[in-house]
Amino acid sequence: MTFDQAFALSSILLATTAFGGLLLAQSVPLWLALPTIIILIVSLLHAGGVRVVRRATAQVTLSPTLWNVLLISTFLTCLIDLTVVSRDFLPAGIHFLVMLMGIKLLTLQQRRDHRHLYAISLMAILAAAALTTDAWYVPIFLLYLLAAVWTLLLYHLTQETDETPAVVPPMSSAASQTAFPHHITQRFFWLTNATAVLTVVLTLAIFFLIPRIGAGVLQKTSGEALRTTGFSDRVDLGTIGSVKQDPQIVMRVELADQPAVEKDHLYLRGLAYDQYNGRSWSYSETRRHPLSLVADGTFLARPTRSRLPHNSSAVAHQDILLEALDTAVLFAAPFAELVSGELLAIQTDAMSGLHLPSPPSSRILYSVTSHAPQLAADERTAPILAYPDSIRSHYLQVPAGSQQISDLAHHIIRQATTPFGQTLAIQRHLLENYGYSLEAGTATLSHPLEEFLFVRKTGYCEHYATAMVVMLRTVGIPARLVTGFLATEWNEYGSYFTVRQRDAHAWVEVYFPRSGWITMDPTPTLIATAAASRWESLGRLGESIRLQWDRLFVRYSAKDQLAVVHGVQEGSDALRGKMSRWVTSMRDSINRVFSRLAYIARTFQPGMQELVMGAMVVGLAFLLLMLRDRLGLWATTHLPISVPQFAIVQLYTRMLRTMERRGMRKTPAATPREYAQLVEQQWRAAGPMVADVTDLYQRGRFSRAPLTPDELSHAAELVRRLQSLTQPAR
Amino acid sequence: MKNPLLNLQPSSTFSFVRGMSQRRSIRFTSEGTRFLLFTFGIGLAAINTGNNLFYLLLAMMLSLIMISGLLSEYCLRRLEFHRHVPDLIMANEPTTLTLSVANRNRYLPSLSLRLLDVAEGQDIDRGLSIPFLPPQSSVLLSYPLLATKRGWILFEGVRAQTRFPFGLFLKKGFYPSEARLLVSPSIKPLTLRFVDELVSEGQGHSLPRRGQGSQLYNLRLYQPGDDSRTIHWMTTARTSQLIVRETEAEDQRRITVVFSVLASEAREALFERSVTFVASLLWQLTDRAYPVRLIVGTEDSGLGSGFAHLLAMLHLLALCERQPPDTNGIVAPAERRSPLNHGGERGYTVAIVPWSDHAIPIVQADRVLHAKQLEELTHDF
Repeated sequence: MTFDQAFALSSILLATTAFGGLLLAQSVPLWLALPTIIILIVSLLHAGGVRVVRRATAQVTLSPTLWNVLLISTFLTCLIDLTVVSRDFLPAGIHFLVMLMGIKLLTLQQRRDHRHLYAISLMAILAAAALTTDAWYVPIFLLYLLAAVWTLLLYHLTQETDETPAVVPPMSSAASQTAFPHHITQRFFWLTNATAVLTVVLTLAIFFLIPRIGAGVLQKTSGEALRTTGFSDRVDLGTIGSVKQDPQIVMRVELADQPAVEKDHLYLRGLAYDQYNGRSWSYSETRRHPLSLVADGTFLARPTRSRLPHNSSAVAHQDILLEALDTAVLFAAPFAELVSGELLAIQTDAMSGLHLPSPPSSRILYSVTSHAPQLAADERTAPILAYPDSIRSHYLQVPAGSQQISDLAHHIIRQATTPFGQTLAIQRHLLENYGYSLEAGTATLSHPLEEFLFVRKTGYCEHYATAMVVMLRTVGIPARLVTGFLATEWNEYGSYFTVRQRDAHAWVEVYFPRSGWITMDPTPTLIATAAASRWESLGRLGESIRLQWDRLFVRYSAKDQLAVVHGVQEGSDALRGKMSRWVTSMRDSINRVFSRLAYIARTFQPGMQELVMGAMVVGLAFLLLMLRDRLGLWATTHLPISVPQFAIVQLYTRMLRTMERRGMRKTPAATPREYAQLVEQQWRAAGPMVADVTDLYQRGRFSRAPLTPDELSHAAELVRRLQSLTQPAR
Repeated sequence: MKNPLLNLQPSSTFSFVRGMSQRRSIRFTSEGTRFLLFTFGIGLAAINTGNNLFYLLLAMMLSLIMISGLLSEYCLRRLEFHRHVPDLIMANEPTTLTLSVANRNRYLPSLSLRLLDVAEGQDIDRGLSIPFLPPQSSVLLSYPLLATKRGWILFEGVRAQTRFPFGLFLKKGFYPSEARLLVSPSIKPLTLRFVDELVSEGQGHSLPRRGQGSQLYNLRLYQPGDDSRTIHWMTTARTSQLIVRETEAEDQRRITVVFSVLASEAREALFERSVTFVASLLWQLTDRAYPVRLIVGTEDSGLGSGFAHLLAMLHLLALCERQPPDTNGIVAPAERRSPLNHGGERGYTVAIVPWSDHAIPIVQADRVLHAKQLEELTHDF
């Protein structure tokens, strides 16, 4: 492929990549995308040298006036778009950019046109960056970078080729110039790609090192918030069912370095409800109070001392990346104690629910430390539990007309003697006697709970949890309904849970005076999912990559930079300490060995110590003398030598020394050629090798062209073979 | 280990830094300026929005700039220049100079090189370019040089510049490669009548003496060491003694050219034309195989003939400088100390005196060419 052809192709590929970015960001409407794609394909075929396209385009000639009219009409279209259609600067600007790109591609002739196209492409990739944070930007960006390196390089080289003849007068160096190849050679191809790889590496280094100074003057969020159900003031029974098939990702929860935490499921608590009116849940206490800030960006959700002293609890630290949702609820494993992140304020309600002041307009990343209370041993067996009035007044409410349910509850617990036993009995009854089904839409029924318990006997989490709470309350055990997510999709590649809309869940919290609120789930586990196929595994890998992209690139901040600096500092300190310990231990070991040797020497014979030391020195010197040639050979061939001439002289000298040991000394009067002939006559086996080395020596020493590394290696090999020849010439 | 740079004295450090800055310089091309403006814009957008993808694009732009600097440095690194100049060239005569360029890089080629001559502190573009110089290879470039003034031309070195790889920067590197080239005055055709006249006047100053030649000078007895080919057999037979034949030297038409370097500033142009005239005259006389001697100011070439002697005389002329006459007299002290006035073997003497309109007897010469005559003789130059 010629340079000019490659240049045209790379220019159009650059534009194509940038347009691809806009297309994936879903910012180009179909009416605009289709003609642009056609123009791009035609341009690519034209640049690729497809004759039919070239012939066809050659026949179509448009006057510059027409192009100018087209440009003006494009501008007018943009104005109309801005004022009437899009009514927003960014989409209108992108449409204008795409139209300009199309026109430029059709009029791509002069170098100025190419420069304009590059500027448009840069603006397009910039616009794509403004519109997305998704991981598909990675391949687009890498392709754009590769195309940019090729394009810039070819732009410069073709420009040089165009300019050179005009500058060089006929009498100067035209005849002696080293001509540049006009075709893309293999070497050029790989060198350019290596440059692109180097640019990528450098880009990453600069990206991570460049100080993050986010002024945020023009910061604009984009993307629509995800609609959720089950986290509003009032939740109708059966509403969660509507999202149980939705695979959209709501959040990712990372549990780094916590082997203690179970990886099969994780409850992510959202809101708790205490009032049930027979059709919907609500909460009686609507007041919220702000959490106190204990450190920079860290809020105290529940003081540690509020936990009961004898209450053992499991600690879970979660890093949660929450998508933009239409609710202000913050999710966390029960019960959150510390919340940190780039959050301005957090509020909490009476039932330990966490709220942001307003729903987040973009993804947010926050960390939570939770302590899940465990039931105290004495409360498992206590026949009676004394509940505080505040608990009794809130969490024993049942809707009117629940007699049938109350009867059922009392029937279930008839054999249980303790509140905990009764709780387990009700949970077991629900787990064993009811079926899980998403078909049971009860949102429109007047008595959905009765319908579930006595008629359909199938339902989903909300029905189960509501039934358990109401039954517990009818037997005098305080309980409440909790909505949130039950994360079960563990990503082993990234060590995190992927939480989707379909993971929305409702469960029960039962109150025990000493242990606090204990999480209980009466919903039967779904049928185990089929063995993970290869595609699912790949999907999880892709999902993990997306999270890493988000973590490392999209959310990379000044704090991360500081963390890296601290990490490096700590790492270097640790390394230094380790090295110091290693050196000390090595020194001690050597000292011990020497002390032992010295002791043996002293006890064996006085003066032996000096003798051993002397023998060691002599032995070492002798060893060095023996290995001198081998070390030299190795050094000649392996160590970087700036002048190959020096290397071949060394090898030749070594060869002479070897031959001298075999009794064939080169007299000072003999030329290298004469000496080689002498060896040829007197020692046939060594003759060709000496002749070859001599030939290389003379070429390396006296020729202008330096010896290649292969030739040097060959000479070294010949000398090595000469050294291994044992039959001296006689 | 202490950094070796720290061991340098402040002045040495300063000169080191200055030397480095002289050897390398970098400036933006028009494309580079635009690229930088775009980079600046993206940087501003990144700071404003805090969008990390903008930072990524900014990093890409910055890395392209850095790669540009890195690769251009590799293009200019380990280049070697050797200049080949002749001993003497004529003014206004095109001469070919050669420059050998070697790339001592082991792996990387040098691309898009433009070479500039650095002479007398100025970069002179001679249109030399090397699009591609493979690693460990060299190339010989030749280019024409047209010197317009006599005297020394001092080539300080070569400045190589490249816009590789992306054309964003123009990076220049200076490579000292000193060379001195002497430019003699140009040679102009003289009227044949004038030269013939001069030669015929000089005939009277021939002195017969023994030497190499074809005319018989003398016959004498053979002495040991004499060339046997010189034995004059006829006389030997006649006298029964070995007689050898001696020839007369053919250098009897000796001409001495005296060039006075005195001239007022107003006559600078005439002085230069006179220098050209003298050079042209010497060329003509040498061409006719006359032994010629040139005296320029206090410098004396001695008597001689042949091309080598002509070059020696042109050397004197190339370097002679005009001296202003003193305020009282006309003749400068240097002129009075002229070797010509100290005698010596002169032959026919032609004095060129561009400072005077009349023949001045201060210079003892057979023929004196003063300003007026010189104007006539050199008005076509």
